[in-house]
Amino acid sequence: MKIIKNGRGQYVIIAILMIAIMIISIGALMHRAVTYYRHEPWEEYLALIGNIELNSKRLVELSLANYSRTLNQSILKTNLEKWKTDIQSTYIGKGITLNYELANNSYNVYGTIIKYSSGLNCSRLQRKSFTAANATFTLDITSIGLTGYKFTALTFLNLTILSVSGRIINATVKAEYKMPVVGLTKENFQVRFGNTVVPILSTRSCYDTKEGIIYTIECAQNISTPIILEVSDSRGIKVIAQYT
Amino acid sequence: MRIVEVIIASFIIMFALSFANMLAVTPTSPKYEVTELEKMGYNVLFDLDKRGILANFVYNRQWNDLQAALRVLLPLDVYFNLTVCYLNGTEVNEIPIFYGNRETFTSSKNVASVTYCLCGYFNSTINNADYDPRILILQLVRG
Repeated sequence: MKIIKNGRGQYVIIAILMIAIMIISIGALMHRAVTYYRHEPWEEYLALIGNIELNSKRLVELSLANYSRTLNQSILKTNLEKWKTDIQSTYIGKGITLNYELANNSYNVYGTIIKYSSGLNCSRLQRKSFTAANATFTLDITSIGLTGYKFTALTFLNLTILSVSGRIINATVKAEYKMPVVGLTKENFQVRFGNTVVPILSTRSCYDTKEGIIYTIECAQNISTPIILEVSDSRGIKVIAQYT
Repeated sequence: MRIVEVIIASFIIMFALSFANMLAVTPTSPKYEVTELEKMGYNVLFDLDKRGILANFVYNRQWNDLQAALRVLLPLDVYFNLTVCYLNGTEVNEIPIFYGNRETFTSSKNVASVTYCLCGYFNSTINNADYDPRILILQLVRG
């Protein structure tokens, strides 16, 4: 009451107003702060990164499928070079740069020593045969400030002939991380004796505690060694093994 | 005199409130709408691709199946128009992969566009494992 009598009431009101404005301003700032991350299209960019990563790995698989059929040692490099250019032109404006490095040394892959050349290698006509590819990618997206995102595409298929007796061939087919390949049918296999194709009657699989899944291939006739067994998985990667 | 001050104070508070409202971007604003649709589009295509379905549909030209898959994965009120192209921009799909009202795409201000790239597909019938990219352009709008 004393303040009002002294004519200083307006200062109190101004002070209250200032406090009110500050509270409202803080409220507005806090609202912006909590909604800020909704503006950022992180999920959209995650899917974009996922798209590039997934299809780069697919291209390595596709190139390996091509290599396993043609033995074209430069196919992976050629394909990745095209992919690198096409990615940049497709996502123009996003500042995408995809670089790659092909393995060119010896690597221990799931217990198998693989000596890569231009990211590719295969071992054929052995009891344990394989086809493998290895490439490391580095992705930069300047529009979102992403630099140096690395991922490796390691593709591998192994075919091991366990035994051959009478008309029966027992074999295992394993992919990356020594994972047994499931769902293969007689269309995925081919048995050859020299240049002669031996017809396959049926293919069945059973679980083994040591080997995982064993494929039993029943041929139309008795087989004599050396016998060649080919397998092609759903990705089109082919491996050729021989049992002597 | 006090009444005048209260009125001025009220004006200042109203001004501050409207200013705060102007700054705040609500989740239903157009700014969010396009981003949300883009996110949705990318996620749907990426999900289909991760399962290995997308490349199968595109390279085997199963346009009706692709349309059905998109209809299942996208909300009912989201209309889409998908165009599959070669790298040179030539359209691959002979029939439109479309759902919704065409006018909505021309009249709506919030049309999201998503570009997705496929590198190739192993064709087991002809044993083809060549690099053969396709570009998918998915347009989305809320109906």
